Amino acid sequence: MSALKQLHFPQTPEEAARLLARGDDVRCIAGGASLVAMMNLDLVDPVELVSLAEVAELRGISATPDGGLRIGAMTRHRELEAEARLAGPLAVLREAAGKVANPPVRNMGTIGGVVALADPAADYPSALVAADAVVELASERGRRRVPAREFFLGLYTTALAPAEIVSAILLPPAAPGVGLYDKLARVAGDHAIVAVALSVTRRADAGIAVGRAIGGGAPTPVHDPKVDALLAQGRLSDAAAAQAGAALAAAADPTDDVRASAEYRRLAIPRMVARAVARARDELERAR
Amino acid sequence: MSARQTLVLRVNDTEHEVRAALHDTLLTVLRDQLQLTGAKRGCNHGVCGACTVLVDGRPVRACLTLAHTCRSAAITTIEGARGIADRLREAFEQAGAVQCGFCSSGMVLTASALLAARPAASVEEIRAGLSGNLCRCTGYRKIVDAVRAVAQGAER
Amino acid sequence: MSDQSLIGRSLPRVEIREKLTGRAQYIADLYRPGMLHGALVGSPHPHARIVSYDVRAARAAPGVRCVLTGEDFGDHRMGAFIKDEHAIAKGKVRYVGEPVVAIAAETEAQARAAALLVEVRYEELPAILAPEDALAPGAAIIHEELASYFKVFEAVCGGNVCSSTELAEGDLERGWRESDLVVEHEYRTAPQAHVSLEPCGALAEVDAAGRVTLWSANQSVFRVQASVCESLGLPMSRLRCLTPRVGAGFGNKMEAHIQPIVVKLALAAGRPVKLVLSREEDFEIVRARHPFKVRVKTGVKKDGTFVARDVEVLADGGAYADDSPGVLGYSLLMARGPYRIPHTRCRGTLVYTNKLRFGAFRGFGNPQVSFGTETQIDEIAARLGIDPVAIRRKNALGPDDRWFGGQQLGSNGLAECIEVAERESKWKDRAQLAAAPGKRRALGFACTAHISGLLGTGAIVRLLEDGSVVLNTGAVDIGQGSDTILTQICADALKIPLDRVSIASPDTDGSPYNWGTTASRVTYTTGRAVFAAAREVERQIKTHAAELLECAEADLELRPGGVVGIKGVPGKELPFLAISARAHWRKGGPIIGTNSWVFDQPTVDPKRAVAVGLPFPQIGVYSFGALCVDVEIDETTGQIEVRRAWTVADVGRAINRGSVEGQLEGAFAQGLGFALVEEMVWNGPRLANPTLMDYKVPTSREVPYELHSYIVESPDPDGPFGAKGVGEIGINVVAAAIANAVAAATGVRLRQLPMTPERVLRGMLAAGASG
Repeated sequence: MSALKQLHFPQTPEEAARLLARGDDVRCIAGGASLVAMMNLDLVDPVELVSLAEVAELRGISATPDGGLRIGAMTRHRELEAEARLAGPLAVLREAAGKVANPPVRNMGTIGGVVALADPAADYPSALVAADAVVELASERGRRRVPAREFFLGLYTTALAPAEIVSAILLPPAAPGVGLYDKLARVAGDHAIVAVALSVTRRADAGIAVGRAIGGGAPTPVHDPKVDALLAQGRLSDAAAAQAGAALAAAADPTDDVRASAEYRRLAIPRMVARAVARARDELERAR
Repeated sequence: MSARQTLVLRVNDTEHEVRAALHDTLLTVLRDQLQLTGAKRGCNHGVCGACTVLVDGRPVRACLTLAHTCRSAAITTIEGARGIADRLREAFEQAGAVQCGFCSSGMVLTASALLAARPAASVEEIRAGLSGNLCRCTGYRKIVDAVRAVAQGAER
Repeated sequence: MSDQSLIGRSLPRVEIREKLTGRAQYIADLYRPGMLHGALVGSPHPHARIVSYDVRAARAAPGVRCVLTGEDFGDHRMGAFIKDEHAIAKGKVRYVGEPVVAIAAETEAQARAAALLVEVRYEELPAILAPEDALAPGAAIIHEELASYFKVFEAVCGGNVCSSTELAEGDLERGWRESDLVVEHEYRTAPQAHVSLEPCGALAEVDAAGRVTLWSANQSVFRVQASVCESLGLPMSRLRCLTPRVGAGFGNKMEAHIQPIVVKLALAAGRPVKLVLSREEDFEIVRARHPFKVRVKTGVKKDGTFVARDVEVLADGGAYADDSPGVLGYSLLMARGPYRIPHTRCRGTLVYTNKLRFGAFRGFGNPQVSFGTETQIDEIAARLGIDPVAIRRKNALGPDDRWFGGQQLGSNGLAECIEVAERESKWKDRAQLAAAPGKRRALGFACTAHISGLLGTGAIVRLLEDGSVVLNTGAVDIGQGSDTILTQICADALKIPLDRVSIASPDTDGSPYNWGTTASRVTYTTGRAVFAAAREVERQIKTHAAELLECAEADLELRPGGVVGIKGVPGKELPFLAISARAHWRKGGPIIGTNSWVFDQPTVDPKRAVAVGLPFPQIGVYSFGALCVDVEIDETTGQIEVRRAWTVADVGRAINRGSVEGQLEGAFAQGLGFALVEEMVWNGPRLANPTLMDYKVPTSREVPYELHSYIVESPDPDGPFGAKGVGEIGINVVAAAIANAVAAATGVRLRQLPMTPERVLRGMLAAGASG
């Protein structure tokens, strides 16, 4: 039987953070898609819930002064899936949003909720790492920013401090390039067996920058700047992709679960990396 | 155990005052207190879609929605859905898109929201749009055909 | 058939409106005044002796009105074939999750909270989780009293062997000698969950006289009545079983689930009790499709003529026999397929293990054996350089052939099924099929047959005073559409509009016996009873009319709209109202037509075949089918996508075409899940994926939109209007046809289900078929 005694509706991120500080049994509820499922399965039993539904600041997508995008934590997957400004290298996030669960759940779930929970099987973490996103956190002490690459620490573990909430996701200015998210799942809407997030920026000097990460079936997004550099220097060649795939498969510590074996994931990672890189190369050429 | 608290829910254009525990889901309140049993508990973890209702016109999982978070929302259940839903009912009947019926409420509501957003939705859009509503009886073909028939009506 | 005939049309379901407005009531939607809610405590151990219970804390918990343990239940056992199962665990537990304590409380939350307070002490026993381990010497025995259990057939059992069956025709040794090529392989299929969208549940209420009324999610009110009464030691006359709408069954609601426990709770609490399982409980404690290990050996001539076959099945039955002996026997009966193979022997062993019971599931063993037999035919065809369709056609059973065991076939549309599937799929042009970049693509083909029939059935057709009709059969419509089909048959037989016939909801007090909605049987068996009962009503109407119109009964005819008149004399007629009023008030008595029958054609002809341990002496008539699939395989990941499918069935006569298509399409989708993604996984003794998050079924994106169904009509001489069954046939060879397509596209022959990306990719890498 539920222990839940209070449900708060703060109006600002700081107020929400202050409420969270009341104790360990106080949890934040965003869209509810994950938290209520866990409550229904008796996996969590909060005493107080802090709803972010009425925090106006957390809603919506806006341009930042540097030309990037600020995505409020309460932005629904559905909104991101339809967001035209997520173009070029940032399309990785739009594609990932469109592959989260299924349409009704995408009406409920929020990017902040997924990021804060850090479910290893979620679609956003790898896409955010690939897109070089920054996570903005709010607490009574103020705001701080953590690059996505440093935010996801392990299974359901993040850089979030106690009594701190995810307030926004910050994306760098859109640039020419491509972004893609290739997800292998048993059926539509399932968690990924393996997903490859790839974000390629074409630079003015004709060089490219690559951000890529593997998600699904591993505790955190698998990413390595050296691999990005290798792909960039190799100009997304098949040989570079093969090297990158091998390096990432070696770096990954995939899980064995009902979706697939760890061995299969290790087998699939380089193959999916190669395909993603080839697709990105083709799209870049077409855009030329 | 959390105590029950008063809550005013706007369901099918009528305001209802209910007493609900804070952890009670919208599904529980609709079914047990308002006797609106058209939304079904198929899994209670948001996968099957049988509990789908519209909140402010958008399909959501009633089983994953805490009732108290709906205090300022307009909720539509299958019992109160009209307009596109009525056209869908006619099309489901003609296409033979209903077998056991346990998924039908959720299917009609999800499809009505889909068509509200994309009145002339294609077969592929419909297949994608309904992919969060499981049906174990029909193989989906006749359901997609029914929704497509309404979409084609909108094209004309 | 006149233009006004109701037969063969795609009429909407009679109950469609209530289902589309949310008004249809399923078990969870029923509430009774003063109703309590039930909850169960499940065993944490796969195999253990129950030492003691401590339910004091649960009894004292808020809202709790009743707590029952195995000690509160008498030593009564139930079971469709072998009576080996108590209503609740008694003395021993045999699988994780098995109900050991039941609680009734004022709310569901209170009942579930109290369940957590129950303490049960166990003495653990060695767990047997694989069939091979069950057969090992010295294995722990799961049912020590197996020998003393009551069995409804001559079961060959002992140790952990629940049932062994053998069926043989011809001379196997001679068959091998006469064969030019002999192939042999082993195949494995995975346990599949039914995932009826509605979880199982029950609601029981005791009346002032102590008699119980029970509503439940079920496929047969009569099987519920029998199972509950057997397991509680109640006279059947003390229990009335009713049914609300049922959110599909596929086999998991045919035999008892929690009905006996809920009845016992209601009796003990003296108040109505409802218990609806959670999705997790529905996965963990109801039943599932048996995993099979199947060895198939087939001998053929160079020209592709089948000569001999030997099949050996090892089936995991789980903790209780349930329908398993039937599933095993039926799978063996199907293992020769719809082909002539003069020398065939099929043997099988069903063993107890410490998992939830496996039982009836659409296909009833046929999908498991057909995965082996229908893929092996393609292997043989490839070895001999013969087209896979041609080799099937060459060996297909013809109209004069008999089924394996010797039963005569009253009708056989197999040849036409093959022809339709071949033509519609453009099979002969398949070499021109283009694959997308990075994909492989091919067609795959398979054939099948399935019974419809079995056991007892009745129908009562009553002409009411105003000339309208109430039809009562006791057959539960589980969503497949039998209420509509039976109404069509009744209305057509009496030449009245569909809306003049209402169908009564099944009720063990008032309905004639109906074994159940299972075995693809309702249209064929109950439809036949309805037709005959309607004919009886017609006869009585004509008796009255002959007296009133002063003519011979033979000169009378029924006319559309509920009128009886003299043939060739347009004005001389009477409405049913006039006839029925006379019968009710003046002469003859109310008009009631009844019919009941039991399927009685023997399965085995002892002059042709030898059968040992086969649990069904009479089984049913045969439907036939063919299936072609268009499959694309991703070279990068090994993932399979079925792009198109053509599913064909000989159903004798389609009473409702739309419903027949619906059965074929739904069965295909369920077969697609069985083939590609569905597998219940045990982590040690515990089910690892008892949620819809972890156990996945196909969505609207996996089932191809191009799912084309075709109806072949080879009428059965005894079926209503020639109709045969269609409920199961469409699932049987989905996995086999897909496997055949995968082999054609990649050269990889998969012999284990499900065909996951992992298995496909490994196969492709081993074969060098993919980078």
